Amino acid sequence: MIELLAPAGNLEMVRAVVENGANAVYVGARGWSRRRDAYELADEQLHEAVGIAHRGGAKIRVAINTNMQSGEIPALLEKMEKYVAWGFDGAIMTDVGAIAQVHRRFPNLVIHASIGANILNNEDVKFYRSIGVTQVVADTKLTLNELASRKVSLDVGIEILIHANKCYTYLGKCWMSPYARLERTADDFGKDLFRGSPNRGGLDYRTCLEKWELFDDQVLLEPEIALKNDAFFYLDDIPKLIRLGVHCLKIQGREYPVPLVAQIVRFYRELIDACSADPAGRPIDLAPWRSRLEAIQAERDAKRANMTLVLLNEARQPVLPRA
Amino acid sequence: MSTFELNTTISNLRSLRESDLRAYDAVYLGNIYCRIFEDNFLERLADLRTGIAQVKEQGLRAYVTSYAAPRNDSLAKVQKALETAVEAGADAIEVHNLGVLRMVHEQFPNMPVHVGGFANVYTDAGAAVLKEYGARRFTPNYEIGLDEVKAITDHAGIPAEILVHGKMPLGVSDYCFLLEYEKQWPEKCPVICQKQLFLKQGDWAMRSVGKGVLSGRDVCMLEHLPALFAAGRNVFRIEAAYESPLYRHEIGMIYRAALERAAAGDGAVDESTWKTIHQHTHVGLCNGFYFGRTGSDYVGSREESLAAQ
Repeated sequence: MIELLAPAGNLEMVRAVVENGANAVYVGARGWSRRRDAYELADEQLHEAVGIAHRGGAKIRVAINTNMQSGEIPALLEKMEKYVAWGFDGAIMTDVGAIAQVHRRFPNLVIHASIGANILNNEDVKFYRSIGVTQVVADTKLTLNELASRKVSLDVGIEILIHANKCYTYLGKCWMSPYARLERTADDFGKDLFRGSPNRGGLDYRTCLEKWELFDDQVLLEPEIALKNDAFFYLDDIPKLIRLGVHCLKIQGREYPVPLVAQIVRFYRELIDACSADPAGRPIDLAPWRSRLEAIQAERDAKRANMTLVLLNEARQPVLPRA
Repeated sequence: MSTFELNTTISNLRSLRESDLRAYDAVYLGNIYCRIFEDNFLERLADLRTGIAQVKEQGLRAYVTSYAAPRNDSLAKVQKALETAVEAGADAIEVHNLGVLRMVHEQFPNMPVHVGGFANVYTDAGAAVLKEYGARRFTPNYEIGLDEVKAITDHAGIPAEILVHGKMPLGVSDYCFLLEYEKQWPEKCPVICQKQLFLKQGDWAMRSVGKGVLSGRDVCMLEHLPALFAAGRNVFRIEAAYESPLYRHEIGMIYRAALERAAAGDGAVDESTWKTIHQHTHVGLCNGFYFGRTGSDYVGSREESLAAQ
């Protein structure tokens, strides 16, 4: 049975996604995941989250998927001792060195390669398998054919983002945001939050979504260029992905309000169950699902647009010198 | 024998033939962003053989690069480019993708590998893994500071290559947005991305190369070369894949002279070179993330004179 994986940016969301049918939930360790620290959990909350998830029959993974500093890896391993002892079922990671170290220390822990690892081809997958990864989040730009090739030829669990954004650049291979603004600030535990770097600290100012003018040297060519950035909710491809036999369908969205994320999880729970209900595998009529999804999408788009304006405004604030 | 290496990047044979390379010790051949970049060395393998020979005839080392973001459908061509590089005697292969690293390690274990900036080496532990896969050198991800680079080289035991001048890569895409607009413009692909195209808004500016984004400002470490040497850095790059042969030559000569002086203990910058530096920049200078600051910041004595044009 395909796994429905849901995000949780706080404990309320952990409860909500489990209640709405998620088979698994992922949470970020504060300061260590690809999301702003406001949407990550402190250690005591992570501990509580494990209990909530497991009592609800769901697995839980911890995201530690930033590219940290060399000197931070020992601290990461200390944290992982706790997280593994508490019962986390897996870790979502990006940094090659951190993955190798965590795998060596915890050989039985399931390591999921994050979208931040930007694993693009079958040889890539083999590389990450060799350092201990067994599940890979597929880059959002990959086609169904590429996913099918990966499934057929490689021994790896495939996780597909069914709600996320396709940025202009590849996730994990973009540092436009910190080029515009990077604020090096430490949290109460001394963790550098790298505000502005999605790869190192999770907060991305979305500077790519600015309305750009395009110049040829000093000559204005186009007064408004929009770099492509498509929000997507998979619908038509859900039956195909189920038939393909991918391991997991993943919903992104720790930064959204709890009711909206709960709605998204409930939608996909019911859709997956409907697609899987007929033993003969006959296709279902997706029309009623489409109109339901449109309402969810409209709310999500409005929230995202507001957040983008806030982030772009924040990106223009000066960085105060560090003490 | 020089105590350091100065290298640069060249995308195709025409640009190689037009370039005066006497400032350099080595050249990386190939365009990492786009398969249809005009006459990309990585797609025109006869040109690649010729290019390797011509670079080596000039007494320089010839390195062959590879794509920043290769999908499955690129791997067959990547394979042929690797084979060509090995047969033609390239001195090293640069990889930005860890799948390609694996291909080189499995098939050509004696070929030195340079890990490129898009391979995302951020930690000493990461560099150590890649060293086991044949990496002899690495370009750190551009986001990390010089202090972090030192932590990696101290512990992983492989040298770092540092971008000292040129537009820093900021991102790579599978999609060239220029193709949406080219029907309105007189120039078409593959010429369009070689123009000096800038995305601007207020004081933000980035250089667009279609399938990639570079910093609008040129990274310039001219004032900081003694510090780089003191930290043990001795491999330096002038990023010039999308610059003119004149840029490659003039910037190269400035850095050659400055590096030789700094290596001999004289860290003073030749003031007369700033005019040339300014002539070759469109929106000013920066230091990238080397000093732990916003990537477009500049740190140095010339800060006040480096306002965006």
